[in-house]
Formats: sequence, C-alpha cells, structure tokens
Amino acid sequence: MALFRFKDSKTQDLSESLARETKRQFSQEELFQFAAYDPNAGERGGYSDYSYWRSTLRAFRKNRVAMFFLCVILATLLFTFLEPLLPYDREPNTIYYSEQVQMNLFTRQPILDEAGNPVVKVALAKDMRPGSEFWFGTNAIGQDLWSQIWSGTRNSLFIGFAVACVDALLGILMGVLWGYVRKLDFFFTELYNVFDNVPQTLVAIIISYILRPGMGTMIFAMCLTSWLATARFVRNQVVIIRDRDYNLASRCLGTPTRRIITKNLLPYLVSIITMRMALAIPAAINNEVFLTYISLGVPLETPTLGNLVEAGRKVMSEPLLRYQLFIPVIVLALITISFYIIGNAFADAADPKNHVN
Amino acid sequence: MTEREKLLEVRDLRVTFGNRRHPFTAVDGVSFDVYKGETFGLVGESGSGKTTIGRAIIRVNPVSGGTVSYNGQVISGKVSREVDRQVIQNIQMIFQDPMASLNERAKVDYIVSEGLYNIHKGLSEKERQEKVSRALAAVGLLPEFASRFPHEFSGGQRQRIGIARALIMDPQFIIADEPISALDVSIRAQVLNLMSKLQKERGLTYLFIAHDLSVVRFISDRIGVIYRGKLMELAGSEQLFAHPLHPYTRSLLSAIPMPDPVGERNKQLVVYDPACHGYTESDPPQWTEVEPGHFVRGDRKELDQYRKLLGQ
Amino acid sequence: MPTSTDNIILSFQDLDIRFTLRGQVLNAIRGVSLDVFRGESLAIVGESGSGKSVFTKSAMGLLDANGTIAGGHIWYDGKDLTTFRTEKDWLAIRGKEIAMVMQDPMTSLNPLKTVGDQILEAVLLHQDLKGEAAKAASIQALAAVGIDDPERRYKQYPHEFSGGMRQRVVIAIAVACRPKILICDEPTTALDVTIQAQILDLIKNLQKKLDLTTIYITHDLGVVANVADRIAVMYAGDIIEVGRCEEVFYDPKHPYTWALLSSLPQLGVKGQDLYSIQGTPPNLFYEVHGDAFAPRNPQALNIDFVERPPFFEVSPTHKARTWLLDPRAPKVEPPEHIRQLREKGGAIHD
Repeated sequence: MALFRFKDSKTQDLSESLARETKRQFSQEELFQFAAYDPNAGERGGYSDYSYWRSTLRAFRKNRVAMFFLCVILATLLFTFLEPLLPYDREPNTIYYSEQVQMNLFTRQPILDEAGNPVVKVALAKDMRPGSEFWFGTNAIGQDLWSQIWSGTRNSLFIGFAVACVDALLGILMGVLWGYVRKLDFFFTELYNVFDNVPQTLVAIIISYILRPGMGTMIFAMCLTSWLATARFVRNQVVIIRDRDYNLASRCLGTPTRRIITKNLLPYLVSIITMRMALAIPAAINNEVFLTYISLGVPLETPTLGNLVEAGRKVMSEPLLRYQLFIPVIVLALITISFYIIGNAFADAADPKNHVN
Repeated sequence: MTEREKLLEVRDLRVTFGNRRHPFTAVDGVSFDVYKGETFGLVGESGSGKTTIGRAIIRVNPVSGGTVSYNGQVISGKVSREVDRQVIQNIQMIFQDPMASLNERAKVDYIVSEGLYNIHKGLSEKERQEKVSRALAAVGLLPEFASRFPHEFSGGQRQRIGIARALIMDPQFIIADEPISALDVSIRAQVLNLMSKLQKERGLTYLFIAHDLSVVRFISDRIGVIYRGKLMELAGSEQLFAHPLHPYTRSLLSAIPMPDPVGERNKQLVVYDPACHGYTESDPPQWTEVEPGHFVRGDRKELDQYRKLLGQ
Repeated sequence: MPTSTDNIILSFQDLDIRFTLRGQVLNAIRGVSLDVFRGESLAIVGESGSGKSVFTKSAMGLLDANGTIAGGHIWYDGKDLTTFRTEKDWLAIRGKEIAMVMQDPMTSLNPLKTVGDQILEAVLLHQDLKGEAAKAASIQALAAVGIDDPERRYKQYPHEFSGGMRQRVVIAIAVACRPKILICDEPTTALDVTIQAQILDLIKNLQKKLDLTTIYITHDLGVVANVADRIAVMYAGDIIEVGRCEEVFYDPKHPYTWALLSSLPQLGVKGQDLYSIQGTPPNLFYEVHGDAFAPRNPQALNIDFVERPPFFEVSPTHKARTWLLDPRAPKVEPPEHIRQLREKGGAIHD
C-alpha cells in the first residue's frame, strides 16, 4: 500500500544518489582534487519529507483502540445495508406468528393433550425471548427485533449523518463569513445571541406540531438550531488565523475573499471540523432518542434506535422482557462510544505536535 | 537630486489603532519620499511603527491621517477599484517570518501563482506553469519544487518562495518588511544578494524595513530612522553613517556587532534615553533639513549643535 | 586561557544523539567531543538545525521525548550524565548546577505569577534563605540585572515588562539558582539590536561577578565576538572548528567558518554582492558521507565526499575538521573578507 508507506520515496532516491556518488572510487591523487560543483545539490539537500495528512493518518493508525472502533463503526454501517439482503431475512414491520406451546395462565405449566404432549397452536409471536427462530427475540406486538435493530440502526445513523452534514455545511459557511468578513460580525453575533437563547426542545416541539412527524421533520428540527453552535466554533477558529501573515499576503496579492476562504482558511480547519462532525453524529442519534422519549419522535412504523429504546423502556419492569431494552441500548452505546473515541483520536492525530513519533 | 523621479510620497502619515476610548498612535506625522529605483531603508526597534507604515502603504492598515501617493496618485483612504487594482499590481510585500507567511496547506505552485489568478485571469495552464518556473528560477529555486508543500523547505528557501510570489506580479515597488531578521545569518546574505540582483535586473524600488542598521547600510541608498512612531533622522546611507546626528541613531550605530573580538571589547555602547532632549513647550522639536538630503528632528538648540557638527 | 584537564567542568565525549521522527532516524549529533573549561565563556555557533541546541540540552536532560543519547558520555563533576534516567537525577543538575536562558523570554516566564514570586521561588529552592531575607535577595537579584526600581517591579507581571526587561528577569531567575554553568540559548535573537548589546554586556558582567561558566548558543558569529573566549562552530551535527575567539575570527580554517564570517552583512560593501553560502543545510535524515558541508562548498575536494575529515590541529587551542589542512591538499585561499580580518588580527597580535 503505497499510501501508507511513510518512508518517502523522494528522500530514498536522494539517499541512494548520494550513496552512489560516494561509492565512486578515486585514486590517491584524485582524492585531493577539486570536485565538480553542482549548485543545485546544496539546494536539494535541505529537503524534508513531511506530509500533514500522511502523518495524521500514521498517528491515527497507531492508535489501536481507535482503529478497532473505526472497524466496528464501518462494520456496523456495512451490515445495516447488507442485513436486508441476507436470506431468510424478516421484514421489520411485519407481525409474526409462530407455533407456540399453550400455557396454563394460572399454573404457568404447558397445557397437555390426551397423549401427554404439549398443545401447540399458531399464535402471535409476541415477547419471544432471543432464540434460534428470532435471534434477538420479538417485541410486544410480534415484530422481529433482529431486523428492527438493524433497520433502526440504519435509520438512526442516517439521521446522525444527515444532521452532521447539514450542520457542517451551514455551520462552516456561516462561521467563516462571521469570522472573516468583519462587516458581518455584528449581525451574526446578534443573530446568535437571539437564537442561542431559544431552547432547542421548544423549537423541536413547535416544528413537530407544525409539520408531519417523520424522519425529514426530525432532521429539520435538529438542524434548525444545531448549526449555530458549529458556526460559532468555526468563527472562533477563523478569528485565530485570519490575520496570520499568509492571509495578509493573499490580500496584498488581491485574492478575492471567496478564494481566501477556500484556499487559506478552510484547509486549516478541516481537521477540527472533521472531529466536530465525528462527535455531532452520536449527538444527533442521542438527541433522537430523547425526542422520542418526550414523544416527539418519528412514527413507530419507522424503526429507529430511539423508538426501540422507548419500546424497551416500557417493558423495563418485567425482568424477562428486559432484553427488549438492553439490545438497542447496547447498540446505541457502541455507536456513541465508537464515534467519541474515533473523534478524539483523530483530533490527537491531526495535531502536528503529535507527528514526531 | 531634484531630477530624480518620486515614486512614493508619504505625507504626515498617521495610523491609529484601538477604539475611541483607548486610541494608540502607532505612526505619528511621518513624511518621506521614495525615489524610483532606489532602496529606502526604514530602521527602528520593535513597536516603533515601521511595519505599520509598510502595511499602511499597501492598504492593509487603514490610514487615519495624511496621505500616501504613488506615482502622483493618492492611494490612501477610500479609492476607486481601478486604483486598488493598480496598487495590487505595482506594490508587493515580502514578509518577515517565512514560517508564517506561506500557506502551509497549498503547494508552492499555487502559492507562487496566487497573484496571477487575480490579475491575469485569461492565462492558460501552460503559460501559468511556465511563469511559475521562471519565477522560481529567478530566486534560485529548482522548478521541481513547485509540486511540494512549504513545510518541506528551510527558512531561506521559504523566504525565496515568498519573494517569487511577489515577483510574479511584476511589481515596481516592493515593501520588504524585515525580510531577513527571522533567517539564519548564513542565509541572510543569500536573500540580500538576491534582492539586489533583482533590483538591478528589473529596476525595482524597495522600501526596506529593518531593526538592524548594519543590514540596512549594505542595501539602502537612503535611510530613515524611526522611534516610537516618529522619524528621528533621514539621510543618505553613507551620510548617515559618517555623520549620525540624532542620539538615537548613534545608539543604533554603536550597537552593530562586528566580527572583530578586539574591537568589540573596546567598544563603547551608547544608550538612548528619550528624556535626554529636555524638549519644552516653547521650543518643540522640528523636522528640519540640516544639510541637503539630511533631515533630523530636534529643537532649535539641538539643530544649531547639529549644524555645527556638520560644519567641522 | 586554562587548558589543563583538571579545569574541565563539563566534557562531552563522542556524543551521539538520535531522534526518531515519523519512523525515520535522524542523527542530530554525530560523535562530538568538546571540553568546557571552568570560568570560560564558550560560544557554539551554527545554523538552525545544526544541532547546537540539542547538544547543550543533552547536558540538562532536556531532550525531547523522541530523542536519545545513542552513544558517548557527558562528564560533569565526576558523574556521567548520560547514565541519568529519572527526573530526580536531573533535578540535582538542572537549575542548581546548570541553568539555561532561552531565546524567547515570554515562554520561559509564567504569565500568571508576579516577576518577584518567580524569582523568590528560585531563591527559596536554591539558596539557604527564608522569609524576608529571601525576598530581599530576590529584590537584590532584580537590581543586579539592571532593573530600575526593583521594589516596584517585584510586584509586577511579565506582560508589564518590555522584551529586553523580560530577558533580564529570566537571567535573574537563572542566576538566583546559583548555577555553575549558565547556558544562553540565542539570548538576544528575539530582541532589538540596541537591547541585544545591553543583554550581552549584562551576562558578561554577571559571569565575572559570580564566577560562572557560560555557554552561548547562537547563529550569529557577529554577536559573540564581544563575549566569547572560545568558539565552536557546528554544522550538521558536528563541531567542525573550535578555537579561541581571536583564532576563529582572525584565522579561521574551515570553509564553512569562512563562509559564515564573510556572509555577515556588516562586512558588506554597497554595490557589491555579499559573500553568500549557496543552498541550505542538509537534512540529517540521510547519512552524511565525508564532509557535510561539501555539497554547498564550490571548492570541495573529491575526498570531502568520501571520507569524514579528522581534526587537524592548528595550534594547541585551535583545531578544524577539514581536508584543506591535510598536507596533500591543494592550497585554497580564503575569501577576501577573511584575509582582511586576518590582517586586522595580525596587526593587533604581532
């Protein structure tokens, strides 16, 4: 993998050419004669190979824990798409029936027929514990939890990614303008002060009353306020670097603001923006869980981790049914922790101070 | 002297920072001319306002009083788009710290040709690349460096990249803001030689800002000495070294370190104390020409003294 | 000039320092030996990246985490500093025996504590004083480095001081620890020329008064002419010439020293080009063969590319690593400025 080779080919070539030069055999007299002088040789000698992104990648790859969780996330993401294609897959919203042994409600013993065998009847497959037929069991109305979990994970990740993307796009655009164009500073600061004081929950409640509940509404409600924080974050970063000499140089060269932003400012912010995105995804997923809890979530026919956790929460008091809560919570925790660790590891790796080892 | 063409005229330049409640005057009533084809050295300590003057000329810092004219046209304050464009094309800047003045995330190719994108919009890719190669060659760098990133280069090489970036605009006037003070001594000569070579080849005019008189003497035709936002003395470079009048100039001169151990050990250091003048309300210091081309700031008593010194 | 061995206070022997940087090994110091004599002031001169800072930092245990001493010894007071492993070992040396003044005074001062407190800390730690006596000593230390009105200044914070004054405070703190050796790492590079000369004067006077041994690290040969007794010139992790100040300034032998000296702008004549060194210092990621300066030296010999030159002795106190001093070498005239300096020095000495 050429990309991951850290020993740079350019340096290697140089070393080899120098070595070739020195291996030349000289006679005793020749040794003390003037050597041919190549003015470019002195210029080439100062070359150091350092690539910011290569070093960042290297530092990240060294972090075993983060690499593990990155694999977990990638595997999860891949599987949410592959899972519906598996043979014998069940549809998440279908209500299943199965052959069940009839139980006596009072004695809690199987009802036996004349031959002493348990009576088996086809009935609604509700609250079935994880087993060979329903791997993660079924829920209170007989839907397959396995397929519900994966389709819920897919939907939740979609919400997370969508919110993070809109967040980043709007946040970066507004943040850079806010930070770099001094005339807009006052306007944006006031705008921020006003919107920042409106509770996000309130906005979500109003939006879900106005619009029809659904994934789109959920994403819209979350994006409506979250970009402000990102914009403010980006603005502060821009203010730190906007008056550096290289930006002054660009202004002296007459570079228009648009190109200063795309060429001078954003490339410096990519690493921190990536990190923020990595943390925004689990934040959005958790936010969805919360909104579902206050019954502003998406309708039940769209499984999400929020809906699943909420359904599990309702049966929490029944020890035998707690798997309905635990399984979605474990998946949720795994996703959140993975993103968190990856985001932080990336932040460390992107810091040039950590590029020495 | 009079037949020489004035390229840049700075008149009573004032630059103020801060807000209305806490104003800070960085540059206070500075006037000087820069003639076509010469190098004008501006020397002063950090915080003296020398960098601010350079940035005010190139329109990065707003001017709060006085005017700057270039080729007879006022370029300070509010100007038309056309004048702004002319300033960009004709005046360029070389920065002090080569580590901070290059965009680390762009390749040398883009850094050097950045100005071309703004001025020569219709340039073909091939023409552009050729111009970059030529600019790099002009500063003694190899054309193959174009595809690399700035952090792969040493300080001297980076400074030369910065010079190439300014050169590609074909400017007439270059403001060099302490271009060598962040460099190793061994590299300084390289950059200084390069600058004088370019001046000869292209007829450039320099405003050379420095804190070290020894450097300025070598490259400048005329030198202005600035202290706390005010010019103290202005003269031809040999004139100034032969007859330094203002005590601040003398202290600067005495501080030049010489590579001569015996001479250095016997050297007397002059320390400048601004209180030594004893200026009074009735006799405020004036900016006066005491001999042709030699200006100095002083009150009447001092000026008489200076004239007497020159007469000897 | 003391030269006998019992006067050696600090001795580097065949020191090798390596850094691992992004998986590659960098030979920062390549087998360097140097003796520092008690009471002298030694200047180590070299370009950035020549290893001059790393070299002296190794004597204080201040190498960055990715740097290791790969070979050789550093002897101080009968102890081999290269065997030190723990911070506790180093604390007995650092500050107490060897103190350091850094280039940027702002980074070596704590912005949240008053200047007085920072000096007091050093006094309490290193001098046998307590309470009022310690405070008096701290104020005394401020006065000793030429700060007017020390009692008022004692209560101020670093940001209330100018750059030159801050550097004075840093020196006061370093000296308050009563070290035997004071290392000044580019003490004046960040300062204005006029302040530069004053700070150098101050260090020189303190050295005399407190009987210090000082080591200056600088890239500017011009700066040290006034203060150094001996000069060691470093290039690409190796000392290539060492000698008494006069010897190095008036009769340098290595082409790199020639180049360093003649490229000083002070020596320039208007209208003429300055002597300049072409190219840039080499990258130490790849192995240096022969004389590291050869690729930048227009008059390099073939052997310079093949074999590392040994030290040739010019005088008992002056030696240089260049094949030009070999009897087989052709005669190479130094550049004009060097000849002028030589005449100047010769006139004074003979």
